[in-house]
Amino acid sequence: MSIKRVKLMINGQAHEVVADENLTLLDLLRDEFRLTGAKQSCDKTGQCGACTVIMNGRAVKSCLYKVAKLDGASVITVEGLGTPENPHLIQEAFVLSGAIQCGYCTPGFIMATKALLDKNNNPSTEEIKKALSGNLCRCTGYVKIIAAVKLAARFIRGEITPDEVRPDPDGPKVGVSHPRPTALAKACGTARFTADYVVPGALEVAVVHSPHAHARIVNIDFSEAEKMPGVIGFLTYKDIKGTNRLVMNTDDRPVLCEDRVRVIGDPVVAVVAECRHQAREAAQKVKVEYELLPVLNTTEEALAEGAIQIHDDRPNLYYTQPQIKGDAGKAFAEAAAVAEGHFKTQINHQSPLEPEASLAYLIEEDGEEKLVVVGRSINIHKHLSVLQDALGFENIRYEEAFSGGQFGMKVEITSEAIAGAAALKFKRPVRYIPSLQESMFISPKRHPYDMKAKLCADKDGYITGYEIDLTVDDGAYHSNGDVIIGRSLRMLSGAYNIPNVQAMSRLVYTNNPWGSSARGAGPPQTNFTLECLVNMLAEKMGIDPLEFRLKNTLQPSLGHSKSTGVVPREWPFPVVCEAIKPHYERAVEEAKKYKDGNIVRGVGIAAASFGVGSAGDKSIVSVELNDDEGVTIYAAVADPGEGNDSMLTQLAAEGLGIPMEKVHLVTRNTDETTATGPAAGSRMTYMCGGALVNAIEQIKQAMKECGAKTFKELKAAGKPTRYNGTKQAEFAGPLDKETGQGPGYESEVHCVQMIELEVNKETGEVKVLKATTAVDSGPVINRLNYEGQLEGGADMGVGYALREEYIAGYTKDWVTFKYPRMKDSFEMVSIITETPRYNGTNGSTGVGEMTMLPTAPAVISAIYDAVGVWVTDLPATPEKIKAALAKR
Amino acid sequence: MTAEKFKQIKSELEQEYRSVAGFTLLFDHEGYLWEPKDWNEKVAVALARECGIADLSENHWKVVNFMREYYFTYGRAPLNSQLKKGTGLSIAEINALFPGGIKKDGRRIAGLPNPRACL
Repeated sequence: MSIKRVKLMINGQAHEVVADENLTLLDLLRDEFRLTGAKQSCDKTGQCGACTVIMNGRAVKSCLYKVAKLDGASVITVEGLGTPENPHLIQEAFVLSGAIQCGYCTPGFIMATKALLDKNNNPSTEEIKKALSGNLCRCTGYVKIIAAVKLAARFIRGEITPDEVRPDPDGPKVGVSHPRPTALAKACGTARFTADYVVPGALEVAVVHSPHAHARIVNIDFSEAEKMPGVIGFLTYKDIKGTNRLVMNTDDRPVLCEDRVRVIGDPVVAVVAECRHQAREAAQKVKVEYELLPVLNTTEEALAEGAIQIHDDRPNLYYTQPQIKGDAGKAFAEAAAVAEGHFKTQINHQSPLEPEASLAYLIEEDGEEKLVVVGRSINIHKHLSVLQDALGFENIRYEEAFSGGQFGMKVEITSEAIAGAAALKFKRPVRYIPSLQESMFISPKRHPYDMKAKLCADKDGYITGYEIDLTVDDGAYHSNGDVIIGRSLRMLSGAYNIPNVQAMSRLVYTNNPWGSSARGAGPPQTNFTLECLVNMLAEKMGIDPLEFRLKNTLQPSLGHSKSTGVVPREWPFPVVCEAIKPHYERAVEEAKKYKDGNIVRGVGIAAASFGVGSAGDKSIVSVELNDDEGVTIYAAVADPGEGNDSMLTQLAAEGLGIPMEKVHLVTRNTDETTATGPAAGSRMTYMCGGALVNAIEQIKQAMKECGAKTFKELKAAGKPTRYNGTKQAEFAGPLDKETGQGPGYESEVHCVQMIELEVNKETGEVKVLKATTAVDSGPVINRLNYEGQLEGGADMGVGYALREEYIAGYTKDWVTFKYPRMKDSFEMVSIITETPRYNGTNGSTGVGEMTMLPTAPAVISAIYDAVGVWVTDLPATPEKIKAALAKR
Repeated sequence: MTAEKFKQIKSELEQEYRSVAGFTLLFDHEGYLWEPKDWNEKVAVALARECGIADLSENHWKVVNFMREYYFTYGRAPLNSQLKKGTGLSIAEINALFPGGIKKDGRRIAGLPNPRACL
């Protein structure tokens, strides 16, 4: 280590720093100056831009600059730009444009914007894309970030002020894009993510992961590692006092592996040291001896006779569920046209920017030891329960920090259990900030599906039958694979009336990365197959694909049922078909001009009818009246970026007729909140919003009963001050084990999406030009938040269709993952219709996951429209497109 | 792998309706009642017997009633420290009441649901 003394300015203040010359500016800012606005995502490789600051007038990635080069530098961080009380115009512009979702990338984008606008206060879209090209965002699809930069430029040019843009806080509360309550904190770098917690003296963890996909652990040698500087100790499964199992639905996944590893990246040993660097150095010295076992790379290998069982106590074919409605065999025998195909979807990582960070520490409370675990959970009460069993320690508080995106995967415990176990063993605060590759190792993936399917219609163009055989690679651990299949089957027939359905599904253990919840969780995979087949069949019938969809829409009034046999109460799918029609006709006409030459244009459409409010779902939300005529909402309504803070605040303010600033949210810890279920399944607005509205109704009823006009009068009348609202799904129960018939989701969000794109016939490269989405999920509470979900989902869907794939052992960072970049972003148009739903929260359902359903089939159908080949094995890479063209 | 073992593992994954004390009730994969309002004292007695507790004593009822009261007030299950405070019993005493564990048996007999997982 070489020590260097440097003088530099940070946010206008002069500092003299004596430090290791290899210390990065990012670590200096975060660890020494506690300026945690700059974030770390890409393991200091300069891939993500989350750590961007301004140095000597230029936007730089602070992770790439070492102390040795800082002498004389002037650095401005996001904290130096403005505060929530006195924000900079750029910070205001990001808030008012709806450009902030999870907020993890936001400080970096804001600093890059500052550097751009300091030089050019009227940048074009292309100039913005170029200037911000080094910054990544997973949530927004970049559209609203570009809009934010343009709005900031207008503010700076003096053309308009934030007050002229900001919605009137005293005006209507619902149906208006009021700024998110947490947006300014995210814009100013004061929102605390897990790694931002200040815990002096916290130990740090590094984990030894398996390099093998399947092996027996023969021996672990700590002799070299224990001599390494700073090492406090080690943790193996033997140190874990509970079950050592992280149980979502079944008990197959260990906190730390016992005698066997089952997937590349399985955690084996945790090394605990005084600092992260020391822990990582020591982890490299731990020698694990493995005896290699046969690796089952595919479901075919896992199902082959004599294949090794991945778990000794259960078969590789772990779960099956048929679905039978009507007589599909007869329908196909009598069909006028049949479309069929083999469809495959890939393993994918959800790719939130924030690593899987956790912090754990023991406190004394009421004379007893209590373990506090801080992490990224979207289901803190479930995770509290999982940790209690796994760690064998009951008195736990789970605290949700701000979370840098998650897209479903944080229904799972990852690093929290290791941090918690280490804190219990060493009786000191422990922080576990995994690297990006480690975060990829330990987090669940989107399940890959292998589907053989066919769809048929009668001579009049009505769909009559659907057969699908689907095999799901569950990977090494089960998690909630059965739930994922159940979701696929409950939404199998999509938007349509399909009187005869025959489906078989199977879930298979392999040595691949394990699957779990991932935005949409099951239906995106099966809807890809259905929607491609609908377009194939429409072509065979010679019917326009949009007309074909309208013709075959499910109609409850005619007694049509979903594939589960349930006749829904309402089905406003035709509304979105009609809404997109003029846009579709325009696009088809325009594309005709670009059918010759090497680069040709295609238009594809796909639909989605996505269920919300699952069988047996229930939510509880507590509302307490405050002395200041405001309320506090107590409920574990996680908000990893969707805008649930807006939803709760706006609904409560509207329902009670109080200012939004009088609504206080307590949503992030298990000690004070109701156990209201996961922020998954697009259920927050529908279920938790519904429970909140129910609580508000109770308050209003109580006021009416005693004639109270204010909360003080209500209290004076002796009425309760706390009201528990509930919302419960109308039906509960499983699908029938033999037929797959039974209760499903009680409402739906409907959508038709159109993708316009260009294909280069020589290179196979695809450029998406525009996504137009017609959607109806009921009345919209906050339009900017809503559009943000649509745009981010479309961007994620395009990545899923064209680029992204998680390959264990290869995918290790944002480059190998092929992360969506601003240069790939495309125009997006949202057409929003608002048909109130019978059981909706003030008529609303939810939209967050539906956005993953239509995009991949629309993209693949547009490629077909452009060049005449179906690429049904995702992702449709240039190589696959070229190969398909060569075969034609 | 025996057929019985596979059947048992498979049932771990599913919700199921069971008849308990003459009532048809929905349970989750771990045997917790799906809807706490479906609970009554007869159900509690029957579930206790399934847990190997022949009779529910006064202290059993003290714990069960406190759990339910707490759940319906705060929308979550109490931690042991809250149980101790609320019942006046020591953790050792409460543990002795439920040989299978406070969480596994106590909450099950009280009809408290598991926190919802993915839906």
